Amino acid sequence: MVQITINDHTVEAEPGRRLVEVIKEQGITITNLCYIDGLEPYAGCRTCIVEIEGARPTPLQLSCVAQVTEGMVVRTHTEEAKRTRQSVMSIIMANHPDRCLSCHRRVHCMPGDICLRDDVVTHRCLTCSKNYRCELQTSCENLDQGEFEEPWVGEARSYYETPPPEPDRGNPFLEFDPQMCIICTRCVRACDDLRHTGAITLSGKGHTTMIAFGTGGQVHESDCDFCGACIDVCPTATLMEKPNKWVGKADDWTNSVCNSCSVGCTISYGLNDDFGPTIVRPDRVNPASRDQICVRGRFHYDAIPDKQRLSRALVRAGDRLLPASSEDALARAVEAVSAVKQAAGAGAVAVLGSPMATNEESFVLAALARAIGTPHVDFASGAVHRAVSQALEGAFGTDRLPASLADLERSDTIVTIARDLEESHQVVALRIRDAVVKRKAKLVRISPMWSEMDGFSHAVIRVQPGHEAAVTQALVDGAAAPDGVDAAQWQAALDALAAAQADAESLATVVYAPNNQDVALAGEGAKAAANLAIALRGQAAPDHLLYMPTEANVRGATDAGIAPGPGGKSFAEIVAAAQAGEVRAVVLHGDNPLLTAPGGPAIAAALANLEALVVVDEVRSTAAEHATVVLPMAPFFASSGTLTNADLHVFRHNAAPKGKAPSGLSVLQALAQGLGASVAFESPAAVTEALAAEVPGYPTNAMLGAAPGGTRVVGSPSRASAQAVAPAPASPRGEGSRGEGELTLITGRSLYHSWEGSSIRSEEADKLHREEQAWINPRDAEAARIRTGDVIDLVGEAGTVHIAARLDDGVPPGTVYVPLYFDAGAVLALYPLDGQAAGAPAVRLRALQPA
Amino acid sequence: MPLETESKARVRALISEFRPENGDLLATLHKVQHEFGYLSREAMEVIGEQLDLFPAHVYGAASFYEEFRFEPPAHTNIRWCSGPACRLRNSNGIRDAMLATLGLDEIHEQTEDGRVGVINGQCNGCCELAPMVWLEQHETHTVRPVGNLTAASAIRMARALRDGTEIEGALDAAFERTPSGSGVSNG
Ligand code: SF4
Ligand code: SF4
Ligand code: SF4
Ligand code: SF4
Ligand code: FES
Ligand code: FES
Repeated sequence: MVQITINDHTVEAEPGRRLVEVIKEQGITITNLCYIDGLEPYAGCRTCIVEIEGARPTPLQLSCVAQVTEGMVVRTHTEEAKRTRQSVMSIIMANHPDRCLSCHRRVHCMPGDICLRDDVVTHRCLTCSKNYRCELQTSCENLDQGEFEEPWVGEARSYYETPPPEPDRGNPFLEFDPQMCIICTRCVRACDDLRHTGAITLSGKGHTTMIAFGTGGQVHESDCDFCGACIDVCPTATLMEKPNKWVGKADDWTNSVCNSCSVGCTISYGLNDDFGPTIVRPDRVNPASRDQICVRGRFHYDAIPDKQRLSRALVRAGDRLLPASSEDALARAVEAVSAVKQAAGAGAVAVLGSPMATNEESFVLAALARAIGTPHVDFASGAVHRAVSQALEGAFGTDRLPASLADLERSDTIVTIARDLEESHQVVALRIRDAVVKRKAKLVRISPMWSEMDGFSHAVIRVQPGHEAAVTQALVDGAAAPDGVDAAQWQAALDALAAAQADAESLATVVYAPNNQDVALAGEGAKAAANLAIALRGQAAPDHLLYMPTEANVRGATDAGIAPGPGGKSFAEIVAAAQAGEVRAVVLHGDNPLLTAPGGPAIAAALANLEALVVVDEVRSTAAEHATVVLPMAPFFASSGTLTNADLHVFRHNAAPKGKAPSGLSVLQALAQGLGASVAFESPAAVTEALAAEVPGYPTNAMLGAAPGGTRVVGSPSRASAQAVAPAPASPRGEGSRGEGELTLITGRSLYHSWEGSSIRSEEADKLHREEQAWINPRDAEAARIRTGDVIDLVGEAGTVHIAARLDDGVPPGTVYVPLYFDAGAVLALYPLDGQAAGAPAVRLRALQPA
Repeated sequence: MPLETESKARVRALISEFRPENGDLLATLHKVQHEFGYLSREAMEVIGEQLDLFPAHVYGAASFYEEFRFEPPAHTNIRWCSGPACRLRNSNGIRDAMLATLGLDEIHEQTEDGRVGVINGQCNGCCELAPMVWLEQHETHTVRPVGNLTAASAIRMARALRDGTEIEGALDAAFERTPSGSGVSNG
């Protein structure tokens, strides 16, 4: 630390830091329209000029370029510094549609007046969607730009000489209106340096310079992932969120967390008093996500139109669900469940929870199950998590590993065992790219299919679906390249691992995101991942293995009690028992198993076979169609509570209220009370407190308040011990070989589909319609005479999926990829119910309609 | 995501000699445009893969130069000299006359059937022939300088090109002469 003087005050500052950041930290307003905190200066806008005593050749210096040195004397608001900034600003404003901001007459003009200065009436900020939340506008105001005597007063403005460029409104997320652009290039640098996506560029030269996306086409034709990092830094209305563009000015902000995957990026909802949440910004609480989120976190609060969410309770009347008052519906629900319990015992009732709900809701749901007296409690992917947990406990004595997501970007070697993190857990993929780009980290990808991450990889191990565990183990054993794996890539992977082993100082991280459709494979994969971490880092392995569940709050739901009790049935067993008529009533909260668990037809049959199905949900899901009673609850963004992410941080989620539906917590509590539970929590915080008292490691409200980003529920690992991993199945079905013309199925969470939209088969489920095709290798497609766009049937043993084909080299010959959430989880019909068969299923292609 | 196509493979083969971080971008762009007449979206993506650049960065660099095109060129382009000597000898009038004959509003447009386009050119030093244009045909890699134009000869030339005449025929029409040989055409 050194001492510098800013405006006659002595300030401690880190030497070498960019002066502008220090000035801003002192609470001094300084225009800096092209600087992005933490990135290298671009020095393009010149609006950050200050006076630095003794600086050469002039004391007027760019504060974003100047670096702190001992004894530096800085003045930010001298007459000359301010006038210089104003003159720079006037050049920027000369080509901006708002002329009023630099007009000395502005105070005299009311909206709608005829402008005395211009022959063309100006746009004014009043007609701009960024009005009152615009950095350019604020910058002009802070500079008293209206006082500045522009040398060209009275001259025709260049701005009006050329027709403005066309805005691009071609996609559902990001609007691009280049006439507002001041060419600060912040967006270009955000996309390059913060995201490593490189979707934006400066195009043209001189007066025709513009921001362009991709190769000059529309935004959605470029590499853009709609993460919105560029929107966050754009100082004008050029790049804007399309949803709620005109009402995005927030009256208040909440601290919340995204529940679309287990990274648990912390976000803030901007609340507009009249409209509820209207905008999302990253919230820096999560040390791994910090200022970055993905398209799901930014836009999924707006995944479906409000009217597609439930607002009224529904009660079955014959084969229809009819609206009912919430009191009647609640009474019917209690009555239906109690009747089954009375007739067939508590064991005939099962409770299904949600890996996306808050810990508090899960905690109350578990209390509800105890009140009924049933041990049959689970969630659709519970068994997958337990298989992974068991494997981790076997290796380390605990499944609560201390490894931290924040270490990813500091890693030197990273091995990912995951289908495609870019799509399933995007911010984890981003931190891996950070490590690869900034530290030249070596990434080894083990996956059955292509990902954007291939381009960042040191070695790509393309495996047969279902062979992930065995191939990872072969890597641990230093074996020869398994069948079908590229020998050069295999050697490169072995070399990277050997180098990591040789350098004990280097940071090595293994990331494991299990296949959510196969319990046995998930468990074997976890063993192999643990073995790999042990091979790399020995006894320190638990610090270097990250387990990424598919859904956001798998850890929290399990910890809060959504797991089979003693003698309790797992999800698949509950389904089988319901089909057999042994389980006759189910309470289903906040999830749609038809979207998550393998064996779609079996699950649907089980739900249809129930005497009583009580669904508590925010949407009328495809599962709710089988319900006896549907109780509406508020959407996730409008609920309060906590979530436990993949690296066991507990983050608070504050409600962004909207709509009429009561919170899930209050509905569950009323239902639980009706079923005899003695729960009477007054607020979500009271449940948080009770949960902390009951579940070891969980934080109290006080702890959450004191360290919002720092409360974790890690365990203390014991001696690490490697475990045996089952060999790869010889074929998709474990025995025999794949038949002629049969393809192995791959599925998983894709980037754009929303859970809410998919759960109700909404048209809006995938707003970009990018994930509504099956990827087929051109070789297989040729054999089956299929072209891109043809509608095909994928025929499996248990069902058929009707889908458009897309020829793609991203899947190896002999495999086909279908996004998990396509058509409300249609692909799950091709998978057997857990435990009824092992290995990835085989399907046949049937061409239906040539394009 | 990726799908190899025949047209991508053609670009890939054409530029296989170029390497990342070797200052090869402009040479690559020139080679691709020379071969295909323009830089297609797909070509820029392949160039990005070859040189380890994002497609947007390839486009950003290419769009800086007037020389690179992102749409297929017209069958025959009239490259109109925008230099000072030509301007002094009424090149603006010639440009406007040609645009009007072809039904175009501005330079860098082409006729609807793609037969004739007008593009901007720079002085290349043969100002004694001002006002100048060059007739260019990508298909045959022909560049034919035409000097000492008048508005009347420019209109006759543009009309002939518009009506489907090839370069030599158009020059004969421009200068009202019987079919002749090559060299700089001169009114
Ligand atoms: S971008 Fe900002 S300064 Fe420009 S018109 Fe809109 S609100 Fe005003
Ligand atoms: S939204 Fe994200 S990926 Fe798209 S251009 Fe902006 S920063 Fe790049
Ligand atoms: S779009 Fe926004 S961030 Fe990008 S250059 Fe223009 S004003 Fe700057
Ligand atoms: S990475 Fe995951 S948690 Fe983060 S914003 Fe995206 S979906 Fe949400
Ligand atoms: S912020 Fe310093 S030049 Fe733009
Ligand atoms: S100015 Fe036209 S050729 Fe020199």
